[in-house]
Amino acid sequence: MSNNAAIEVQELTKKYGELVAVNSISFTVNRGEIFAFLGPNGAGKTTTVEILECLRKPTSGQAYVLGFDIEKKQNEIKKRTGVLPQDFYTYERLTVRETIQYYAGMFDASPDVDELIRLVDLEDKKNALFRNLSGGLKQRLGIAVALVNDPEMIFLDEPSSGLDPKARHSVWHLIEGLHKKGKTVFLTTHYMEEAEALADRVGIIHNGRIVALDSPENLISEHGTRNLLILKKTSPKAVPNIERLGVEAKYDEATGNVAVHLNHTVGVSDVLHELSSADIPFGELQLKRSSLEDVFLNLTGVTLGEEEGEI
Amino acid sequence: MSHVLIDLRASLKSFWRDKSTIFWTLAFPCVLILLFGAIFSQSSIKYDLHIQNQDLTDGKVTYWSDSLINIINSTNAFNIRFVNASVNGTDYALANRLSSLLIIPSGFNTSANMALYTSGLETANVTFVYDQSTSSAPVVQSIVMSVVENLNFELSKGVEYMRVKGLAIAPKRFGFIDFFVPGVIGMTAMTTSIFTSVSTSSRFKQNGIFHKLATTPLKRYEWILSRTVYNILISYLGMAVMIVMGIAIFGMKITLDPVSLLMVAMASLLFTGLGMIIARFVKDPDGADAAANVVTFPMMFLSGTFFQLSQMPPFLQTIAQVLPLTYVSEGLRAAMIFGQTQQAIFNTALITVLGIASIIVGSLITRWEED
Repeated sequence: MSNNAAIEVQELTKKYGELVAVNSISFTVNRGEIFAFLGPNGAGKTTTVEILECLRKPTSGQAYVLGFDIEKKQNEIKKRTGVLPQDFYTYERLTVRETIQYYAGMFDASPDVDELIRLVDLEDKKNALFRNLSGGLKQRLGIAVALVNDPEMIFLDEPSSGLDPKARHSVWHLIEGLHKKGKTVFLTTHYMEEAEALADRVGIIHNGRIVALDSPENLISEHGTRNLLILKKTSPKAVPNIERLGVEAKYDEATGNVAVHLNHTVGVSDVLHELSSADIPFGELQLKRSSLEDVFLNLTGVTLGEEEGEI
Repeated sequence: MSHVLIDLRASLKSFWRDKSTIFWTLAFPCVLILLFGAIFSQSSIKYDLHIQNQDLTDGKVTYWSDSLINIINSTNAFNIRFVNASVNGTDYALANRLSSLLIIPSGFNTSANMALYTSGLETANVTFVYDQSTSSAPVVQSIVMSVVENLNFELSKGVEYMRVKGLAIAPKRFGFIDFFVPGVIGMTAMTTSIFTSVSTSSRFKQNGIFHKLATTPLKRYEWILSRTVYNILISYLGMAVMIVMGIAIFGMKITLDPVSLLMVAMASLLFTGLGMIIARFVKDPDGADAAANVVTFPMMFLSGTFFQLSQMPPFLQTIAQVLPLTYVSEGLRAAMIFGQTQQAIFNTALITVLGIASIIVGSLITRWEED
């Protein structure tokens, strides 16, 4: 594998009886990047990440983490990686500080515990028992625990799942901080905003297969729906004029709005110029940007929320 | 080894901070001992007292023997049952498992008259045959003796005209509390180890703590070792509290030898392994608790913790013979109370073999990683 690769996966497959959870996937994660696996529950994200964490054995294929074979060099991988499992949980009656010290002991590491507590912004809660922490604080502690051995690579499995928006943004902020420290981050998520906000590259996984892999910008540009322009309170006469430009337009009788699907050649200014030339009035303008949600829908035919069932 | 100590310290801290666990592990067995001790020391209830009056003249009871029986009866402490004068009293008591039998010998009336005549140079004796392994015998004996002392005082202002001679028919002298405390120590080692092991394994599995631990360099055997040492320490703690209480409140005479300490450790090992085996086959913590109850409750009641095995119906005694807690309780009694070293060593060796087998099987089938 190349020296620059933090993870290299070749034709990895995991079957549970007849069910193929991960179907011959191959990808590479570069050192220092945030790589996101985006997909609905049951797509195979957690199975893949748990194989890379040496928690599950693959049915076939190879995978290397930091240059070490996941089936032969598990101890080397464990020593050099940090893991935030889905819904991090630990001894209920240990405090925040004791929990960090406990896991540091397991790695025979001596991190600056106060620094880690500061990093995840838990100074006020350092003597609170784990059982008394909220979901968001537990996840933040989980991230601190994942850093006790100063890992080269960090696995974050659904790091903000179940958190409220404020707690979620706090976790995102932390992950960005890790990126700035030069850590390689592999995260799985079913939140497209999370992948879009954090990831350098996103692998879209569906039914155990990677259906697309690129930077969020490139994925949107290549597979996203074209940006949508809404012209409010205008006339149905606008539709034929706009369509003359070579883009789709649709009039909604209920609202009196016209929706225009822009493309690479026809932009907002082209549409507005056409309307003013034809002297067709309109109210407000609204521009809806295409997102990874649209990319996922276009590639799989379903939305991220439609599929359930964790594997 | 440092990983074991780190995990052990975390477990002990968690124990100390969990008040309900402390109650069930330490306070509950003490409450049991106090409760049972109090019940079997109560004097307001009536006890069975068998009396054999051999002192008959022409088939009629003599004056002094009849008087003694009437005075004993007037205490209202006994349900008196008479034993035929023609049988051998001691043999009868053994054959019928009587806890106490008062024998008034032939010639008692004459001896009592002689005592009065000689102002106590002669005494009239009765024999109290008792099985001191039963909880009631010491109480019955003390009441009978106080009745006779009162009678002496009435007759002579203190000179001993009548005397009760004790005859123990139990092979060893011990009371109910002596029997009970080692049983509760064994029971606590079992419940602590099984419940801790089952609930920890199932909670760690469900909450994903095993997953997290599996991503650290902590080895599975290190974790299992830590859990086993933890259970042994908690069982020792329970043992210490119960022994101190038994001595302080009930004046027990206990021998604390290496065999009994080893037995408690091996019992913890055995039941930790058994707990891990149970945990492997249950899906969630609720099911785990139910499964642990299914295993511990029958053992608690059928292994001679609360009642002597000999008092149970024969088919239950047969079941008790295959329950490991039976050998733990009997072994602890043999070591701590009776001084029967050979039986204690045999039972401890048996539990050690079973303990090693159970912890090996438990370790092999406990999974952190998924398939």
